[in-house]
Amino acid sequence: MIWEAVFRLKIWPPYLFPSPEDVAKALIWGFKDRTFLIGMSVSIQRITIGYLISLVLGIGLGFLVGRFKILDETIGSLISGLQVLPSICWLPLAILWFGLNEQAIQFVIIMGAFLSIAIATESGIRNIPPIYLRAARTMGIKGIDLYTRVVFPAALPSIATGMKLGWSFAWRSLMAGELLFVSIGLGHLLQTGRELNDMPQVIAVMVVIVLIGLIFDQLLFSQLEKRLRSRWGMTT
Amino acid sequence: MKLKRSLKQKKINMRLSIEKVSKNFTAQHGKVLALDEISIQIKEGEFICFVGPSGCGKTTLLNMVAGLETPTKGVVRQSGEEIKIPSSDRVVIFQEAALFPWLNVIQNVEFGLVRRMNVRKRREISRTFLNLVHLGRFENAYVHQLSGGMKSRVAIARALALNPSILLMDEPFAALDAQTRDILHEEIEEIWFQTKQTIVFVTHNVREAVRLGDRVFVFTARPGRIKKEFQIDLPRPRDTNSESVVLYAKLIQQELREEIEKFLKEEVDRDWSLKKANLLRPAGIDLGSGI
Repeated sequence: MIWEAVFRLKIWPPYLFPSPEDVAKALIWGFKDRTFLIGMSVSIQRITIGYLISLVLGIGLGFLVGRFKILDETIGSLISGLQVLPSICWLPLAILWFGLNEQAIQFVIIMGAFLSIAIATESGIRNIPPIYLRAARTMGIKGIDLYTRVVFPAALPSIATGMKLGWSFAWRSLMAGELLFVSIGLGHLLQTGRELNDMPQVIAVMVVIVLIGLIFDQLLFSQLEKRLRSRWGMTT
Repeated sequence: MKLKRSLKQKKINMRLSIEKVSKNFTAQHGKVLALDEISIQIKEGEFICFVGPSGCGKTTLLNMVAGLETPTKGVVRQSGEEIKIPSSDRVVIFQEAALFPWLNVIQNVEFGLVRRMNVRKRREISRTFLNLVHLGRFENAYVHQLSGGMKSRVAIARALALNPSILLMDEPFAALDAQTRDILHEEIEEIWFQTKQTIVFVTHNVREAVRLGDRVFVFTARPGRIKKEFQIDLPRPRDTNSESVVLYAKLIQQELREEIEKFLKEEVDRDWSLKKANLLRPAGIDLGSGI
């Protein structure tokens, strides 16, 4: 409504500020000629691969750092330091290492996501009430069982928070990465929109990016986190 | 010669023996002696209570019997064998119940049985013990849905399912209201009659100790030593509010009072002392005026 009103005021020319109608048309067109679908599937495929690798690395590293004090004292601060770095800053390095290819963009996604997952996993493990471990040990549970049956489930709500955070970092990194070099993902569609001076397409792609982000974040990760927390008896 | 032999024999028959056990902790200001040469012999099937001021090391001693902590000096033996690591033959029931929230009630009860037998068998055992604590209806409930008393019951069932020969209870009912506690006292006593387990029960509640224990050990303030041992020769089941229980409790309380005073002096100002409060005001004059 406000959008339409601002458009009608004609403060900016239509090629800079398109009407909602134009954007809707661009959206429909994008899906009709399948460019959006292709872009989406490429981007989602990329993020799935990068995110899964991040999960494995992040949870693994988080476990190790949470378990061994020496690791925490040595690389603990490095992890939280690197986490501050926006992951797109890894792109120049990645391009030099891997060249302008798929691996470089995967690297950027992973650097964006896995550290925050590791940090959440580690804090989850560190905050396990010691009484759970003592209770399990007094029942004769030891070794790997102690990890799989007590430490991991006890840390799970925190890991889920890390997964949610990691996913949103991964999604941002992917978009930034796709914008910056030629590929066929959603970020690339934004870039071509700019090059063709096609503002409706630019906004339409942004809408798609926001929607995908929302769907994953709200429907998948927030739900997962909420369910875990309520079942674990934590008040959100 | 003969005497020595019989002594040795006796030692083996003791289910649990705590022999000159000391424990140091490293605190900020250096080493703190928490327990000082404690020796206790516990017969099989005995119900033993530890009472003492907070910080006297009674829980530490319990943890050493469990194998969760190791003594700095001395040994704890079960049937002659030194206790070094935890075992499902000596299960601890904690004050917070320490149930696992990611499991439902029946999964909590069967937790310690998982690698030992198949699902059907362990479900059957778990149900038996869940029924024993009267929670059969709640086997699919989650931990956060249970009340404090119910959690204690599940924790008891979880420990019993492992069929331990020693049950170690660390203030298991401290967080419960008095009515629930009374009922659980009856039930734990009933269970003890049936299973003949050795129970070591840590509490700061003197009446609870007299209500349940065959023997009650009073601990001194830090460093923890055995101040006095009381043999409670009262018929069971006992009533927490009966005259004889209260009488015993009074005797023990007197012993304990000195220790609590010592403990508080370290925590509060040195010149502080326990004295009877002067509440002898003529009741008729300002009755209710303070409300």
